[in-house]
Order: sequence, then C-alpha cells, then structure tokens
Amino acid sequence: MKHDHLNLGIKNISLSFGGTQAISDVSFDVYDGEILAIIGPNGAGKTSTLNCISGFYRPERGSIFFGNQDLTRTPIHKIAKLGIARTFQNIALYTGLSTLDNIMAARHVHMKSGMLGCILYWGFAHKEDIQHRRVVEEIIDFLEIEHIRKAVVGALPHGLRKRVELGRAMALEPNLLLLDEPMTGMNLEEKEDMARFILDIHELQGTTVVLIEHDMGLVMDIADRIIVLDFGSKIAEGTPEEIRNNPAVIQAYLGQEY
Amino acid sequence: MSQLDTLPKHFMEKVGRYGDHQVAVRQKDFGIWQEFTWADSFEQVRNFTLGLIALGLEKGDKVSIVGDNDRQYMWADLAIMSAGGVTVGIFTDAIPSEMEFVIQHSESKFALAKDQEQCDKHLEIKNTIPGVKKVIYWEPRGMWYYNDPWLMSYEDVIELGKKLHDEKPHLFEELVASGTGDDLANLCYTSGTTGVPKGVMLTHEIFLSAVESFHLLEPRLDTDNIISFTPLAWIAEHTLAVTPHVMYGIIVNFPEAPETVRENIREIAPEFLFYPSRLWENLTAIIQVRITDSSWINRLLYNLFLPIGYKVADLQYEKKSVGIWLKLLNALGDLLVFRPLRDQLGLTRVRTAITAGASLSPDMLRFFRAMGIKLKQVYSSTETAAAGTQHSDDDVKFVSVGKPLPNIEFKISDEGEILIGGKNIFVGYFKNEEETAKSLSIDDHGTRWFHTGDAGYIDDDGHVIYLDRVKDMITLASGEKFSPQFLEGRLKFSPYVQHAMAVGAEDKEYVTTLINIDFDNVGRWAEKKGISYTTFMDLSQKPDVYQVIREDVERVNSSLPPGARIQKFVLMYKEFDADEAEMTRTRKLRRGLLVDRYQEIIDAMYLGQDHCKVSAEVKYRDGRTSNIETTVRIATLEMEEIPA
Repeated sequence: MKHDHLNLGIKNISLSFGGTQAISDVSFDVYDGEILAIIGPNGAGKTSTLNCISGFYRPERGSIFFGNQDLTRTPIHKIAKLGIARTFQNIALYTGLSTLDNIMAARHVHMKSGMLGCILYWGFAHKEDIQHRRVVEEIIDFLEIEHIRKAVVGALPHGLRKRVELGRAMALEPNLLLLDEPMTGMNLEEKEDMARFILDIHELQGTTVVLIEHDMGLVMDIADRIIVLDFGSKIAEGTPEEIRNNPAVIQAYLGQEY
Repeated sequence: MSQLDTLPKHFMEKVGRYGDHQVAVRQKDFGIWQEFTWADSFEQVRNFTLGLIALGLEKGDKVSIVGDNDRQYMWADLAIMSAGGVTVGIFTDAIPSEMEFVIQHSESKFALAKDQEQCDKHLEIKNTIPGVKKVIYWEPRGMWYYNDPWLMSYEDVIELGKKLHDEKPHLFEELVASGTGDDLANLCYTSGTTGVPKGVMLTHEIFLSAVESFHLLEPRLDTDNIISFTPLAWIAEHTLAVTPHVMYGIIVNFPEAPETVRENIREIAPEFLFYPSRLWENLTAIIQVRITDSSWINRLLYNLFLPIGYKVADLQYEKKSVGIWLKLLNALGDLLVFRPLRDQLGLTRVRTAITAGASLSPDMLRFFRAMGIKLKQVYSSTETAAAGTQHSDDDVKFVSVGKPLPNIEFKISDEGEILIGGKNIFVGYFKNEEETAKSLSIDDHGTRWFHTGDAGYIDDDGHVIYLDRVKDMITLASGEKFSPQFLEGRLKFSPYVQHAMAVGAEDKEYVTTLINIDFDNVGRWAEKKGISYTTFMDLSQKPDVYQVIREDVERVNSSLPPGARIQKFVLMYKEFDADEAEMTRTRKLRRGLLVDRYQEIIDAMYLGQDHCKVSAEVKYRDGRTSNIETTVRIATLEMEEIPA
C-alpha cells in the first residue's frame, strides 16, 4: 500500500451538541487507495466524524482538507461533486422508487442535459441517458442485484437495500467512499458478500474507503489501517495487528479490569 | 465431412447453414438480451479449441469445467469436444474435496473455473491435482491481483487460438473431421447417493441418438428457444439444450443471473421448458397465491373457468370427445384467464413442458392441463443420456412415466427391474469395471442394456410405471413384489388421505394398509354430506368415510398388478404422531415401530376379522396419559380371482 499520497486530512476537529462533546480534537489522515476503518464503542463519535467529512455537520473547530479543498467551508451539494460518496447507517434510499431509479438518481452529478432537453428526451439528452444507464447496469452487474433491478426498494430486505445504497454511492464514481456500518443487521453470508464487494470496488477502481464497522473480525480482515475513537477522542491508530494488541483499545472495549 | 456423427460436426454444419444471419445464443447482460449468431459462436469455439491445442490438449484428454450456465461455458464445452477432448462437468456448489475427487479420478488435464470463487477452490487443492496444467477462468472479476501462472483467462486462451489459426488455418476443420461417433464426449459424474460418484462414459453417438429419440416424438425446430438454467454439469442440460442446439439449431438462451431465471423465462417465452418436479409444484403455489391476491374480477373469472378447464382436461385424458359448447367456453376461458396466466409464467409459446425427478401428483398434472399447458413426465437417468420415456401430447396416464421414446427399448427383468436398451445407453463407468458389470449388459444383437436398479412394469398400453428402487421392494408369500412407498405415495394423492402405511412380508399373502384420514378435508366433506361426528376417532370409523376411502384404494389398485393390490385396510383411530416417535420430524414413517405398536390390528386383518378391539395408551400434550378402548373396522376389497 502506498502511503505517500494524501487523500483526506483531518486536523483537530471538535464538535459538541449542547453539553455533550461528540468529537474533541481529532486528527487523522486518509491515504490514497487505502481502506481505513473507524471503530469504537457506541457514542464514540464515529458517525459524527463521518458526518463532518460528508458535510452533514460542520465541526466547530479544525479543518478537513480533501486535496486542496477545505470541506468545512464547502456547501454540501458540492462535496458530492468533489468525488465523496457515502452510505448511511439507517439506509436513506428513495423507498418508492426501483433499484434502477435509485442508482440512476446518483448519476445526476454527471449529467449535463438541461431541463428542456430532458423533458423532450431527444438528441443529446437521450444519448446521455443511455450512457448513464450503461454505467448503472455495470454497477448492477457488479453488485449482483440484477434480479431486483425493477423491484421497488421499499419492499426489499435489509441486506439488499444496503447493497442498493452501496450501488448508489458507486454511481457517483467517488474517489472517497464513506461507509457507515455497511454490514449491520446482516447475517454472516451477507456480511461476507458485502466485504467482497467493498474489496472488489477498492481493487478495481482504487477507491479510497473509510468505513465504520462493529464486526471486529471483518474489520481486521479488510482494513489496511484502523482508527479507534472513544468518548470523542482518538485513542489509537495503526494496522489491525497493532490495534489488536493496543492496551488502550482493550481497555476501552473491555473495561478497566483487563 | 460425409457423416455427421459427432456434435462438433453438427455444429460446423449449422455454422455453414446459418452463418451470421441467424441467432445461435442469447445471454442477458447489462439488462439487455445480447445476441450471438452462429458465426460469432464459431469464432469463439474455433479459437478456444485451438487455444487448448496450443496449450497441449490431446485427443481423449479430459477437461473439467465448473460454473453457472453461460455462453462461455457452452462454447468451451463445444471447443473441448472439437479438440477431441472429453468434458467433465462439476456442480458449482461442489466443495474442494468433491472437486478434487472428480478431477483426480477423471485425470483431467485442464480445469475450467468460471470465477474467483471456483478458482479459489482449485487453488486450495492445487497440490493434490498435479495433472491439471492450467485453470482457465472467464469471469475476471476479483482476479485482478492473482498472479499464479497456473491460472489463465479465457481471453488469453482465445488469443493463443487466434495465433495458432494464423499459422495453421485448416487445423480446426481437420480436428473436427478426425472425430468419430465412438469418441467419448462427456464424462458425467452421478451424484452417488450411495458410495463414491461414478463417471458415466457417454460418446457422441449416445448423445445424438438420445436427442434424435426426443426429436422423433416432438420435433425440435431451429426457431425454438430454450432457457439453459439447470446445471450444465447435469446430463439433462446436454440432452435438452446443447445437443439439440447443434443437431437441430434450437436457440439457447442464458439467464442474466441464477436469481433472474423466472423473469428471463417470461421475457423469452420459450417453446421448450424443463423444470424438475419440485419447481412445477412451486409454480402451482405461486399461481394460487397470485390469484388470491388479485382483483375480485380476476378471481371471479378464474373460479368460473378453472372447472371448465378441468372438465376439458379430464375428457381429453379419458380420450373422449369434447362437446362444442365446452370447447367454446374453454376457448373463452383461455382468452380471458389462462392465456394471461400463461403469459405471467412465460408459458405462452411452450410446446414441450416436461418434468422429471420425483413423480408429480395427478392433481398437479391436471391443474396444468386445465390451464392449457401440456405438462409431461420424463423418466430417464444419466446412464441413458437423459432419454427414456416421455408422455406424448394426448397420451397421458397419471400413474405412468410415459411410453419409451422411439428407438429406445424397455423390458422388465425376472426380478422386476427396469432395463433400458438402445444406442443411447452409456458405455461404462470410467475406471470402475465392477460397477459397470453390475449395471451394463450387451445382448446378442450388440444392444447395450442399462440395469436401472428401479422396479417397475409395463402396462397393456405400453406405458412404463415406475414403482421404487428394487432394493426397497417387499416380496409377498406369493412371490409377488410390491413397493410400500409407491402405494403410500399414490394413496396420499387423495385429499382425504394424510398418511398411509402399507404392510406386507414374505410370510404374508397380500398387502394391507393402515390409513390416516385427513381430518380437515374429511371433516369438511362430512359436514357437507350432513354426517355428524364428534372426534377424529369417531369420524374415522364412519361407514361413509370408509366408503370414500375405499374408492381411493380401488383407484390405486386399478393401476397395480393383481398380486400387489391392497386387499384390506383400516382407518386409524388416531393420527400417526411425530411426538410419539411414530414418524420422524421430517414426517417419514418409522415402519418398525408402527408395525410393533399396531400389531393387533395388523394381525386381525390377516386373520380375516372384520373388526378389531383396541385399547391403547394415549399421551396428551401436557404429559398425562390415559387408556382408550375402541373398535376399529377392517375393510376388505373385492378381488378378482388371482390366477395361481
């Protein structure tokens, strides 16, 4: 793994909700083409950190640099255009639309046709639609969801919805993919499938991945590096092997006694 | 190429005939049905063949192949045969040790593995299969960072082939021409429920003759479509798809993914459909659920026209003429209900719909016939290249598996075993002479006969009736054999029978049966008839109920040889119960225990009594026990005199 090229730099960010300090003075770097996992007990500030990156929350202090762009000053709709895509812990899809339409919707950042052209669906708009459909079909093929292409997302089981959400994130063709607990609520087989998809996206497109996950076994298997948060602070950072043996991490997870 | 005696020769002939103006293969990719003409197929097959030759494949070499059904699989299969090799199919869900056995036993020189999953399995057993020179994959996904030189992509083999073709432009034609009908085409490993799998050796001639037999009964046309989705490692797909494709030019369609098969069937609406019986059963359930969920008008029409469909199906089955009014009504029903229903299932164009595996209940066959789908049963095995018997359009008997196909002979051995003879019979098990000697014989005319191990008989109309495995047959004192499972299975086709246990032994003269009535259905029937009853025990002993079940037993008897018929039966005063260990949790009868427990009743039947007093201990759910005493009637059926 090349650790020379910086993809994302997070510098001393802090965030509080009322009296609760969600994130305090957290810094870490994400390198180009790595899979970075953020772990930590409940309420450690993992999702808040991810939300700061994707622009959902604005950190009160500190900065987040994506290339030369300071994300803390970038409007949220522009963050997607910069090449940052995410999935949500609680799945945020258009439940009334089909799998195909959900993924197609994410292509809008790459579409150039104007409103009139789209209404007439003629000439360039038509051609462009076909191009994007091709990309979406490749994603559908990649994620093996051909059988639910036309199915309404609201009627799908949880594991498949997670996959559709990943597909929508892929459709943005991101440089940085943020995955918030992509495997929660899944059985072992679904988790293994999801892990394979994440690894394949990473291998095929060289996408940088930041993921939050609770399943330690899986994290240790797929992540190149791990950041551990506890009570809003970073308590450890390193390779899976280093984290496994880190006393502070063991204490955070298992308590003082150990 | 004077004589078309191999599959590749047939393939070449079709390529010459259809070239680039007719579709040979379709596969759905990226949501669109991609079409490949015969010329496209030819290029792939030729290049892959030559690629294999360049890698060192020699005549008679075995090549194992594992993957979902798709175009590359079929092209590779044709290429292996064109190169003079033998295809060895492996099921996609095989675990590495199973794969290891087949690859080692077949002495495969190359292994084709579709994707990362299958390649990983091969890598796991790499050290124990040193005979394999290359593992060739055709789905590159996930394989980007594999750098083991043992692995090679389909595309790279094609490239090798192209190069060789430039050097020797006539090599492919020469290879194909050098093949003969006696060459092995396929080594098909049977699932081996008992012991290790056996490699069934099948030559080109066997496949060609098997498919010709099917074709003589129901012609295969070059406009026909088939969806290839049952595993290609299984014999059926070779006889129903690949061989008819090259012999008669039927178009093979590959589904987008294993999960989309049903959707894809609807899009293609094939002329030819083969489902295992379990899937047909699923389909009836789906239809019933959909009807229940649909609008009131749909339900009304369905309930109005289904009985008419049944009536027509029954008349056709009895080979009686259907009156003009009924015909008109049925045509209307077809227009309003059955055609749209068939459309939903992708069965609008189906000419040949067949089922194999466990026999489908008559109700199911009637149901599909009422809907205008002429579903037919097939009986065959790997050793007969999947050709054996088949029902024809208007000659269906629910108990039979159909008549032997043209050019295929059936006979029953003295032991009651079904023997199948013809050109479609396998030439032996690979490296297993002991098993071959048990299952294969050659008569004075040089015809090969397969000893199926199945018991059955051929009725007066030439229909074959399959009973059971020979080893599960029970011999009576008269020397007559019968199959308890067959009898029980047929009895259970009645809605009024829930369970049945047939009894007989070497010291018994005839067959007797303990029957459990289906409390719900019999209860409903009784209410309709105004027969009052209190408990299961009470209902089971009503003379009217006995009469209803007697009719069912007589119906079953009518399809049996006289010596094997049920002569006496009782309706049990209680249900066989898994909680009392009378059945397993999967609802299989525990015969030994049942015979012991109901010894009194069984003895009474054989002693010729017309009733039997029983006292039995009953265990309630809450653990209490109590004794009940009751009298059970014994019904005796009228028998024709059995000639001594």
